Amino acid sequence: MNSNMIKWCSRSWMFAVYFFLYMPIVTLVIYSFNDSQLVTVWSYASMRWYAVLMQDSDLIAAVVLSLKIASFSAIISVFFGILTAFALNRYKRFFGRMLLSSMASAPLVMPDVIVGLSLLLMLVSMQHWLGYPERGLLTILLGHALLGTAYATVVVTSRLREMDGQLDEAAMDLGCHPWQVFSLVTLPLLLPALVSAFLLTFTLSFDDVVLSSFLSGPGYSTLPMVIFSRARLGLNPSINAVATVTIAIVTIAVIASSFYSAQQERRRKREQAQAYSDANT
Amino acid sequence: MSIAPKGNAVCEDLLRVEEVTKIYDGTIKAVDNVSLTVASGEIFALLGGSGCGKSTLLRMIAGFEAPTQGKIFLAGEDITHLPPYQRPINMMFQSYALFPHLTVWDNIAFGLRRDHLPKEQIVARVESMLSLVQLSQYANRKPHQLSGGQQQRVALARSLAKRPKLLLLDEPLGALDKKLRETTQLELVNIIEEVGVTCVLVTHDQEEAMTMASRIAVMSEGHFLQLGSPDDIYEMPNSRQVADFIGNINIFDGIVEEVESDHVIVRSADCSHYVGYGMSGNSGRAVGVALRPEKILLSKEKPAGKYNWCDGEVTEIVYFGAYTTYHLKLNSGKLIKVQTLNNARDLSGNFSLGDRAFAQWSDLAMAVLTQ
Repeated sequence: MNSNMIKWCSRSWMFAVYFFLYMPIVTLVIYSFNDSQLVTVWSYASMRWYAVLMQDSDLIAAVVLSLKIASFSAIISVFFGILTAFALNRYKRFFGRMLLSSMASAPLVMPDVIVGLSLLLMLVSMQHWLGYPERGLLTILLGHALLGTAYATVVVTSRLREMDGQLDEAAMDLGCHPWQVFSLVTLPLLLPALVSAFLLTFTLSFDDVVLSSFLSGPGYSTLPMVIFSRARLGLNPSINAVATVTIAIVTIAVIASSFYSAQQERRRKREQAQAYSDANT
Repeated sequence: MSIAPKGNAVCEDLLRVEEVTKIYDGTIKAVDNVSLTVASGEIFALLGGSGCGKSTLLRMIAGFEAPTQGKIFLAGEDITHLPPYQRPINMMFQSYALFPHLTVWDNIAFGLRRDHLPKEQIVARVESMLSLVQLSQYANRKPHQLSGGQQQRVALARSLAKRPKLLLLDEPLGALDKKLRETTQLELVNIIEEVGVTCVLVTHDQEEAMTMASRIAVMSEGHFLQLGSPDDIYEMPNSRQVADFIGNINIFDGIVEEVESDHVIVRSADCSHYVGYGMSGNSGRAVGVALRPEKILLSKEKPAGKYNWCDGEVTEIVYFGAYTTYHLKLNSGKLIKVQTLNNARDLSGNFSLGDRAFAQWSDLAMAVLTQ
């Protein structure tokens, strides 16, 4: 009786949380198929706004720009993330190590508004003195790479930390020059971490609106910026369609990757069990 | 036509460590002025507790650490400042350090590929290594698909594949459970002897050192306490530290009463010891007399003579199957251990708790410890 009660309570609490988290998204998806001009009034189902979306060149340009910035900034972030994580993990004492380790993670805790504002001030004065760089794709890219590097460093560091340090020595012992140790042993073992760092920084860049707003110039609007500005002017149901497409892509990617990793894990477990039963017979 | 080969002088000592010191952070002496030579074909063990410097010494031989002072020679060549990837030395790591992303085959081939050997040669070498460690049918597995013992054999095969002049073993059996250890120990020695490689191993397990090595250096606080064959170190420990570290031992504190060229008499609280060999030093100095539990004979009758026996009360009996350990409380209150072999099925002659018993031993059973 009592335990039933607790069970019932906890279950309804769980549904309440799910409802709170996902109802807005479900509503958004449903309303993206609404034919009505008004966002809040349901008329009948249609693909009208998806058709409008295909015609909306501003929006498509924004998507392309966002994808470009997200992929380049993710690549830059992962690259610098590897370097920073490596320096912090492998070299226990060098000049400025404390500074590097605290500065590398500073953007994680710094409010985006502050980072954006300070970058903007720097760019403005640079432009004043040097006449370069013009605010646009490059500056947004730099801002995102700055933020992404901090996240990538965290991801790569945690992977490096759990790696057996003797692997490096074993490679060197077997005749690897230091750079061969990196390319033949460390890098292949880091690959999963690099993939997740890439995905994380890609997403981070793709949905950033604060830094982009500070750093973009005329003619360079990323997707979140466009959505944001249109939402302020009054919602257009085509925004719902954009959001639904994004959600669909993200969901498919997440499901595919978790399915893949679960399968890998199962295979690994099975092989391990096989090894032990082999050893015992 | 009896011209001695030039430039390839016969080198008895394969490895020579000369007065090597390693200081960390300017103050911590991990290895303190250590010298040693290892002959070709020998299995040499560095034995000691954690933090005694044995691993640091091994890592300096491998090239992962540079000595603060001193030199290391391999086959007459100074390798002190050679990086690890240029030394003809390979190491089997404590964690095995198998590359998790490579198969067993590729793990073993890893070092050979770095030497750019021709492909057929690599294949032949890997296959022969796999059959040496009896893992041919596991060639395509990844390390995580192997049991601990199999991983250990892959690690061994990988470190032998390059045919190193010197093989280093870092706690080779440390990661295995006890039962697996004993069989693996012999297997390991057999393989090493079959290959004929010279070997330096590091261990904290005295049994491991004694069964595997032909010579042992007992280390403590960065220097060697004693260096000798396993039976030297077991039978003739040169200090209390070594005696304590290796196996079970009873140590009687006493004063030297008489020193002759053929014997020494030491007086301790419970008995007089007549040691059947001479030693240097004067009478009157304080020494320890070390006596192994298995060298003591227990009896119910009082032994004849005035030396090398004592009596006490049996306070504890620990039955091990093959042998029994009795704890004997002597008159001074000192506890000693006595081990008797259970070679008869009939245990009626044995002692029970509270019995008075006489312990006696021969005059060559003891080692006099002067430090």
